[in-house]
Amino acid sequence: MRTVVAAILISGTSLCAQWINSKTPGIPRMADGKPNMEAPAPKTADGKADLSGIWNPSSKFLVNLAADLKPEDVQMRPAALEIFNSRKDGAKWNEEPDAHCLPQGVPKIDAAPVPWKMVQGPRQVTILYEAFTQFREIFTDGRALPKDPNPTWLGYSVGHWDGDTLVVETSGFNGKAWLDSAGHPASDALHVTEKFHRRDFGHMDLEITIDDPKMYTKPWTVKESPTLLADSELLEFNCNENERDVRHFVAP
Amino acid sequence: MNATFGILWLLSGVVANAQWVNYPTAHVPKTPSGTPNLGAPAPRKADGKPDLSGMWEAENYRQCPKDVGCADMRTSEQFQDLGWSLPGGGLPYQPWARAVRDKRKAADGADDSTTKCLPPGVPRIHTLTWPRKYLQVPGLLVILDESTTGFRQIFLDGRPLPEDPTPAWNGYSVGHWEGDTLVVQTMGLRDGLWLDRNGSPMTDAAKVTEKFHRVNFGNMQIEVTVDDPKGYTAPWTVKLNQYLMINTELLENICLDNEKDLPHLGVGK
Repeated sequence: MRTVVAAILISGTSLCAQWINSKTPGIPRMADGKPNMEAPAPKTADGKADLSGIWNPSSKFLVNLAADLKPEDVQMRPAALEIFNSRKDGAKWNEEPDAHCLPQGVPKIDAAPVPWKMVQGPRQVTILYEAFTQFREIFTDGRALPKDPNPTWLGYSVGHWDGDTLVVETSGFNGKAWLDSAGHPASDALHVTEKFHRRDFGHMDLEITIDDPKMYTKPWTVKESPTLLADSELLEFNCNENERDVRHFVAP
Repeated sequence: MNATFGILWLLSGVVANAQWVNYPTAHVPKTPSGTPNLGAPAPRKADGKPDLSGMWEAENYRQCPKDVGCADMRTSEQFQDLGWSLPGGGLPYQPWARAVRDKRKAADGADDSTTKCLPPGVPRIHTLTWPRKYLQVPGLLVILDESTTGFRQIFLDGRPLPEDPTPAWNGYSVGHWEGDTLVVQTMGLRDGLWLDRNGSPMTDAAKVTEKFHRVNFGNMQIEVTVDDPKGYTAPWTVKLNQYLMINTELLENICLDNEKDLPHLGVGK
């Protein structure tokens, strides 16, 4: 139950009440005023797909990134399997970094389970994560991934457009984050590819490929489906403010 | 070691070593000799409004105090004492607020939220030594803050301030343009924020007005007015200068990661 408990604890802030309830401007609406989630996806002034908006993640992937996959789709190397098994059934739940208010890492933070906001500018797309009030910059100005970046929790991200799909490549991880609460491990060799495609106004297809040759014998791909969170706003979420949870995270 | 300088020194390691990227900032005007022309006019968005986007650092010309010397990250006088430039001896504290400030100052700011990996809040965010990146997009100004790898949103889409928002470190901010100046109003601030390292307190009654003016390409002035009748006898206004940083990027700064400072800083004593 550890993962579910953690998800509930983490989500507590946003479930209570969104602090504002103002109508998001520019949203196509039905006759009754409700957002028309099936309306066409918007475009920016320069004709690119516009991913801007607040997105509600599919939080089942927080619990298990491989939730929709068959076991044979995720081929762990022996070292990875050993780590994964050691974390089984919440045995290491008090060692999970986000239990200590450390960043969730990519792609776990995409399934936060609290919402995130995409801010699309001319040279970068920025994701504002309600989770721990953290941000991530995705540079879309044509720069290459750096060869030897400072290792970080969220890595270094560059993106380019493939038609209406934003393809984001991220590497330079510090190898400390877990891929999910089930404990799928990742190393500093992790390379994540995220393909963001706004299918219509209210729905995002997010295809995530995990390529970590130190941990897995071949890359594996997951499809998540964030939905637009209209007429709301991100809440401030300082995980370490009055923190009372981690002491209760004991192995079963 | 004096805690104020101790923490500056300890926390500064991340920034002072090396910026991890050295990527040229786009669209920086150049002088005839090819150097960045930071005195060129401020850039504008397609709608004609000034564009505040860019990486900014706070003024940091504070003289080295004689007794302790300089930390390797220099600060402004406002970092230590937000009201240092005001006539009449600083901020117009209510008596209780002055007493709180005196106590915190005597303790070298040991209970400062930033020491505990919590955010600086508004308006203190503008005086910390970590850089900030402003992103101005239609309807929104985002400030990415290296001090916590956090962010602040300022809504420019015409929405009103909410009547009773959830108290927050950054409050709730809306902005509008008056000529070339972005006027931002913030309320809903969490009770007990620190305004400066001396520990000048701000209460949940505070309304903060910030006037952002990008004077030229490389300089921005923020005029901050704090109206907090519970903490101060009158509203007061200070000016905080910001300088553009080019050819670099924000670093990921995770204060809690391998945190070893707190026991050495007298926190909670």
